[in-house]
Amino acid sequence: MAVFDRSAAPPLMTLKLTAGSFHKLSALLTLAVLILVFSFGNAAFFSVNNGLTVLLQTSVIGLLGIGMTLVIITGGIDLSVGSVLALSGTITGLSIKAGVPVAPAMMLGVLTGAACGAFNGFVITKMRITPFVATLGMMLIARGIALQLTGAAPISRLGETFGILGNGSLFRIVEDTGGIFPKVVFPGIPYPAILLVVVALLAAYLLNRRQTGRHIYATGSNEEAARLSGVLVDRTKIFAYTLSGALAGLAGNVLMSRLVTVQPNEGVMYELDAIAAAVIGGASLMGGVGNISGTMIGAFIIGVLRNGLNMAGVSAFIQQIVIGFIVILAVYVDQIRNRR
Amino acid sequence: MTPHTPSETPLVQMIDIEKHFGGIRAVNGVSLDLYPGEVVGVLGHNGAGKSCLMRILSGAMLPNEGSIRVNGETAEIHNPHDARDLGIETIYQTLALADHLNAPSNLFLGRELKTRLGNLDDHKMMSETVRILKRLNPNFKNLTDPVSSLSGGQRQVIAIARAIYFDVKILIMDEPTAALGPSETAMVGKLIKQLRSEGIGILLVSHDMHDVFELCDRVIVMNKGQNVGSHPIEDVTKDDVLSLIIKGELPHDWVPRSQEKPQ
Repeated sequence: MAVFDRSAAPPLMTLKLTAGSFHKLSALLTLAVLILVFSFGNAAFFSVNNGLTVLLQTSVIGLLGIGMTLVIITGGIDLSVGSVLALSGTITGLSIKAGVPVAPAMMLGVLTGAACGAFNGFVITKMRITPFVATLGMMLIARGIALQLTGAAPISRLGETFGILGNGSLFRIVEDTGGIFPKVVFPGIPYPAILLVVVALLAAYLLNRRQTGRHIYATGSNEEAARLSGVLVDRTKIFAYTLSGALAGLAGNVLMSRLVTVQPNEGVMYELDAIAAAVIGGASLMGGVGNISGTMIGAFIIGVLRNGLNMAGVSAFIQQIVIGFIVILAVYVDQIRNRR
Repeated sequence: MTPHTPSETPLVQMIDIEKHFGGIRAVNGVSLDLYPGEVVGVLGHNGAGKSCLMRILSGAMLPNEGSIRVNGETAEIHNPHDARDLGIETIYQTLALADHLNAPSNLFLGRELKTRLGNLDDHKMMSETVRILKRLNPNFKNLTDPVSSLSGGQRQVIAIARAIYFDVKILIMDEPTAALGPSETAMVGKLIKQLRSEGIGILLVSHDMHDVFELCDRVIVMNKGQNVGSHPIEDVTKDDVLSLIIKGELPHDWVPRSQEKPQ
């Protein structure tokens, strides 16, 4: 009966431990080493303020990375998220200019993202276009629409309310000193960081505990097997792309809100950061493998690298080179793990 | 053997099924009956159309012409989901397993058990998997590992378990013993006999004459997309069947073996 005693553990937990733990551990270690190195290099790096800044900066890549992870697990890719982010922000900005209140305007922006994603899913499943080509098309289409609608000019003066999502924070403690500038005791947890945590938890729940999540893994693992098992493969894929688009829309609103300006040129190449985050976190572009916690670690590795290198005065060009090597290294480590 | 009376309603009737790919007629007006508690061997060369016919019944492929009746009623099978709802289960030669998922996830793929809140009930799926695999292979240990790490025989057992766990009435087995060792083959043979005794109809696609004569009540032979013969197993010899497979006809001097006068 010893055989069956093992069954007491929930199967998925155990599955993750055996298959993903090595990779996740090495990624987590990398993150710790990075933080350590940067802390030694600059005392200001390891501070509450800078920690919150990293959290804020990572939230956009993190949100995109979550959607990207879902898509990558199905065996696909979404190259359009950077452009969709810009289009969604543009729609929100134009709606506010047209007199729509901020909250519904942001909702419109997210819906625009979801619509772009649904279109991607439709093209991929019904027209049988490969995900790379379909989302490359959407990358151009969404960017083009955003630039056309705005004439490539930023939309500013959107009001203070528009800036709350990106700049506000929870538990902000301010001491009134009587002077012009009140003393900030604790800067508070930025709303974008809270949003990222909530979305990450929901996505992890979806992937691990819901039928749709199981079908996302099955579709990427063996599409034909999933179809023969009665999984509605097309519907599962459309769902993943729609969610990726919606999250790109959400990320767009966070980003533009932080700038309190809509920039139709924002988000160029963000899709590559999102893909890098997912891949560093252990997702396989072959499909069937990946998880949210890994992608979060990946997003933070990129965020910490950017922030730390910035504070060390390293140029943005060198940063690109470093992140490029990290991506290759992460995939190489993954391959070594699989060969064992 | 379980001979059926003519008045009995067949479990499945495939009537004048046609399937063409461009100009190629893969299945050319084939009809097939399957009765409860009957094991029918579906034989033929590679490319004779037998896999195609099976895929049509299991919903993986749509026919150009023809109809399918299940228990005497016209059935609409547009996808594997529809077929499963009718109690038609298929064990594919490729096994159709998702390699990155573990055994319970594969066994319940597409039909996951859920808790009252609609979450996946992995606990229940695991205990049910343990229960059914105990019946098939008591030595099964790697239930929590991805099925890619399992042996060919173990993967086959999961594919079989998946087909018989649910309320199966019609079982299509495509080369179920091709990847198996002797003891596992014997296990599959035992299982087929047991399922037959439970009144389940089985279509057994096989190249293995020994298996066919050991397990089947009847054989259907396909040749160039046509059904060239349906015979009770006691009426034919291996040579007769080979003649049907290769030439598409019985030897000229053939008479049903069961009616042959002992010499």
